[in-house]
Amino acid sequence: MANESRHSQMLRGVLDICLLAVLDAGPAYGYEMTKRLREHGLASVGEGSIYPLLGRLERDGLVETYRAASNGGPPRKYYRPSSKGRRALAMGVSEWRAARDAIDAVLAPVKIEVA
Amino acid sequence: MSDFVQQCRTEWKRLGVPDSIAEEMAADLASDIREAQADGVSVEDLLGSSASDPRAFAAAWATERGIVPVPPGRANARRGRLALMAFTGVAATALIVAALLLATGEPKVALATSRGTPPPHLLGATASFVPPPSRVQASAAAPIEWMLLCLAILALGFSAWLWSRWSHPRTPTSPAQ
Repeated sequence: MANESRHSQMLRGVLDICLLAVLDAGPAYGYEMTKRLREHGLASVGEGSIYPLLGRLERDGLVETYRAASNGGPPRKYYRPSSKGRRALAMGVSEWRAARDAIDAVLAPVKIEVA
Repeated sequence: MSDFVQQCRTEWKRLGVPDSIAEEMAADLASDIREAQADGVSVEDLLGSSASDPRAFAAAWATERGIVPVPPGRANARRGRLALMAFTGVAATALIVAALLLATGEPKVALATSRGTPPPHLLGATASFVPPPSRVQASAAAPIEWMLLCLAILALGFSAWLWSRWSHPRTPTSPAQ
């Protein structure tokens, strides 16, 4: 339970960057993004869902949207990063790597013993 | 259309989301849920804990998109924070002013006048008696400055207490399982 909570908290801070990253690989609609995240091991997006976050990215001008037919299905709303979104992604990745390296340095000496 | 999407639509209607936008969001969500279920993914897996609260999910989505205003609770919290910042600023300024007035030893606001009797020609006209500046005493106690200092300290203490409550809100007790 505690681990899941920590996982949710960590994910909440970087989910916007993760969404921009999967969109940088190619435009996608809502469920398609969920599938891409799942393929990378993010099976659960934690306490919330990606939809409100996509709404915020759209409101902040970090993504552009357009409607197009999906594979054999109804027309879907596709998202792709705007130029502002790409800059935000670059900055977010840089911040994430700096934080990850610092945390790794703190945690590196810890030896995990499994009973 | 699934029951979940139907409840979202009801909430968007209640919040005043324009029909065309609500239609679009509902259609996208319904398509995503259908496709996920065809892949064997449940609504819970797709939406996380939001799956159990469609109204909150719908409100959050519409709010984040900027279609509906921020809920009153969040707007009030923002206003309250600004008011508290202003209050703290005024209290700090009052403290500094009072301390400076006390420290500089400049002539203080007169509260006590000379006990001398007015000149004879003014006797009987005390209502219009104004003592000359040389006879106005600067009170050694300077009560106005001290009162201001005390009030400022009290106000700062109060705002510190409010800030601490703000930083560490009481968490509700979780119900017994």
